[in-house]
Amino acid sequence: MKQSLFHTHKRNISKAIHFNKMMTWIATGISIFIFFLIFSLLYIILSKGLPKMSVHFLIGLPEEIDAGGGVGPFLLNSFYILILSLIMSLPIGIGTGIFLAEYAPNNTFTEFVRTSVESLASVPSIVFGLFGYVLFVEYFQIGVTIIGASVTLALLNLPVLARVTEEAITAVPKELREASFALGATKSKTILKVVLPAAMASILTGISLAACRAFGESAIILLTGGTSTSGVMWDFNPLSEGGTLPVHLWYVQSEALVEDAQEIANKSAAILVVITLLISTTIRLPLWIKEKISQLKNR
Amino acid sequence: MERLSNNLSKNTAQSFNLMRSQTKWTKTYVHNHLFRYLCVFSALFLGITLFSIVIFISKTGLLVFKDVSLSEFFFSTKWDPENGKYGAAVFIMGTIYLTAITLAIATPISLCIAIYIAEIAPNSLKNTMRSLLDLLVGIPSIVYGYLGSTILIPLIRKVTGATVGDGILAASLVLTIMILPTITRIADDAICSIPKELREASYALGSTKFQMITKVLLPAAKSGILTGIILGMTRALGETMAVVMVIGNVAQFGFNLITPTSVLTSNIVMQILNVDFDSTWNYALYMMAFLLLMMSMIFIILIRKMRPKGVK
Amino acid sequence: MKLKALFKSIAAVALSSALLIGSSFAANHQANAEQMSGKIVIAGSTALLPLTQQAAKEFKKLNPKVKIVVSGTSSIAGPQSVSKGVATIGACDWDATRSVGGFKAYSDLKAYKIAKIPFAVIVNKDNPVNNLSIKQIQDIYAGKITNWKQVGGKDEEIVVVNRVKGSGTRVNFEDKILNGVDIKTSGDNYIEVGKSGDMVNKVKSNPNAIGFADLAYVKGDIKAVSINGVQASTANAASGKYVFYGYGYLLTKGEAKGVDKAFIDYMLSKKFQNGSLKKLKFIPVK
Repeated sequence: MKQSLFHTHKRNISKAIHFNKMMTWIATGISIFIFFLIFSLLYIILSKGLPKMSVHFLIGLPEEIDAGGGVGPFLLNSFYILILSLIMSLPIGIGTGIFLAEYAPNNTFTEFVRTSVESLASVPSIVFGLFGYVLFVEYFQIGVTIIGASVTLALLNLPVLARVTEEAITAVPKELREASFALGATKSKTILKVVLPAAMASILTGISLAACRAFGESAIILLTGGTSTSGVMWDFNPLSEGGTLPVHLWYVQSEALVEDAQEIANKSAAILVVITLLISTTIRLPLWIKEKISQLKNR
Repeated sequence: MERLSNNLSKNTAQSFNLMRSQTKWTKTYVHNHLFRYLCVFSALFLGITLFSIVIFISKTGLLVFKDVSLSEFFFSTKWDPENGKYGAAVFIMGTIYLTAITLAIATPISLCIAIYIAEIAPNSLKNTMRSLLDLLVGIPSIVYGYLGSTILIPLIRKVTGATVGDGILAASLVLTIMILPTITRIADDAICSIPKELREASYALGSTKFQMITKVLLPAAKSGILTGIILGMTRALGETMAVVMVIGNVAQFGFNLITPTSVLTSNIVMQILNVDFDSTWNYALYMMAFLLLMMSMIFIILIRKMRPKGVK
Repeated sequence: MKLKALFKSIAAVALSSALLIGSSFAANHQANAEQMSGKIVIAGSTALLPLTQQAAKEFKKLNPKVKIVVSGTSSIAGPQSVSKGVATIGACDWDATRSVGGFKAYSDLKAYKIAKIPFAVIVNKDNPVNNLSIKQIQDIYAGKITNWKQVGGKDEEIVVVNRVKGSGTRVNFEDKILNGVDIKTSGDNYIEVGKSGDMVNKVKSNPNAIGFADLAYVKGDIKAVSINGVQASTANAASGKYVFYGYGYLLTKGEAKGVDKAFIDYMLSKKFQNGSLKKLKFIPVK
């Protein structure tokens, strides 16, 4: 009796070990396959666009007829609108996240904010765009502008930011907060000095996801920022037209008649990918440095 | 005399100190409340703005029922706005079907990758893989759509023998690649934020890595993983520019995966720019946007209900 | 005597004032021509966007003080924005002052014909079919002809690609080629696309596809088929032998005034019509 129990146990263990090995291989296999896919995708985009890249293309003015135009104003607008929209959406988004995670009482207001935040994430961005269009172009009558595009883009970012911040803060263990309270810190101090730093990694991931998505957004900009720029470089007037690189890519791919349209599209796509990489690394850079420093200290 | 003055100065210093600590205390108090109000204010602001968007969509959308009956809109499959037929059943079913298939493909794959990155991959690879995934989020959806229609669809035509190749299959594969990073990254974060002690305890009890992952890590990271899936799902529900290029945009059912069909988002984005603002057609499109909103709300509430008690 | 003097002085005053006013008018006019200022907002068709953007660029160079905002979303947005007052000039692929293709007539607008646009029925380069009659094209889109072998091609099923309802090119296609024949809008071999670029990509990547687009897009892996034996070319469209063409319109609220008029005049000028407009493969209307 004892013997057989021991045997079944042993058999179970060896089965578990086998299973463990198999599952490890499957997970590894799937990951490798997907990363191979991602690599080939990136390779296709980058190899088509990067070899012919030039400084002139990055800062030059676009052309309608002759080949060899650049995307300078569009690229500039892309950054300008992204930064403006982040300035507007970050404090409010993170503030809402903190409110939902730390302060929110269990009442209808909380439910209402939470439901709005969660459900709006699935509304196609073009509907946000139409809302922005009705608000800025038809109601305020300022036309398609950089400022209109950035405000509307901020609206798109807000739900994502609020949701991610809430999730990150909820994941911080209770013990940290209790320890901080025990030391006599107030709630705001606890949140600012203890909870937020602990949740920073996840929040930064969220911000970089939101920023990258906003950077590649085209439907909203098409309606609120228009398809063109003011036509000169270094124009920071927020009332100028706000066409961005993704919109230009859309235009070039859908209607442009210029000779090298396909080449412009390929190059623009490659630039967008490279910039996305830059955004996601720079946002995470401070965190990475901090990690390295703490590693050195621990050593 | 000297003593007296000494004493006095000591006293003043003491009372001064007391006063200072009091002002400091008031300052902290004010700070504490100010911060709270800032948070409440931003939540209020966000709530009101988002709510006004919801009102804007629903108010415009509900106007459609002045001309179209509820049963026609929801149950008729005939979408022919020029002749006054506004049946949206095809798009509603299409959206549910497409989202379900996309999630069925994307969730297991994303979980596999998340587990691989968090638990199996060597440390040196981890950060590279994470940045690569972030990179995918930033690729504009038009680029996905373009690659889908020029590379994926000819491939589907070759493999399945379909005449066109556009349809649910192509759309769900493109969407899978698009929402994969979202689910993976959030699930990965959730798994990584689980305290080491849990893992060690599980190993100490003699479990294998796989047992530890399925019995300890995944249940503990459930909330985060669910968030990832919800965010991924909502992105799949709302994605437009890529879907529109590979789905075919025909108002007919596409249950066999390779028949050209249409979903709510693709129909909205294809037509909304081409219709008069004050027309039933336009109202019907807004109603579809409102439906998308309601659908994701229902999904979210369902998933919340499904979560075990105690897990938020 | 006194009376005469009075008359004289009155006449002198009248004359001098008339001269003054006249000269000041003239001066004003000159100033206008030299330094026109104002704001033009152009919205509407994306198909005409290359044209309006190029014209805006050249016009701005001539009149640096004029601010021109150009954007494109869809043809119908042109007349809509102008009649709402959010744009001063609307670009549209059809005459929006008449009711065309299921769209209502915007009778408060004035339409200016600025370019003739040649279109083409396009197929993949590997397709051996080079000529189709209007009847054959109608039958293909109506679903009566479903195999390329029925029109002299390979034994392959035809994939019909159409533009979305509301596209200016589709309005012209239905007007000039289909002539009221109903399109079969369902089935395994029918798809719709949003923009000309998407149309080109579909036909490029599918050897059995048929579609239609501006003649300017025909290059690379797609080719234009002859219609009723007439080759698709700008020359044939200009002479009217080739039937598949349309016009691009600019719309203003009432008669065009001020800078809007100057801009439209510039687009209609010989310099622009025979220069940039021709280079962009549109056909001059004058």
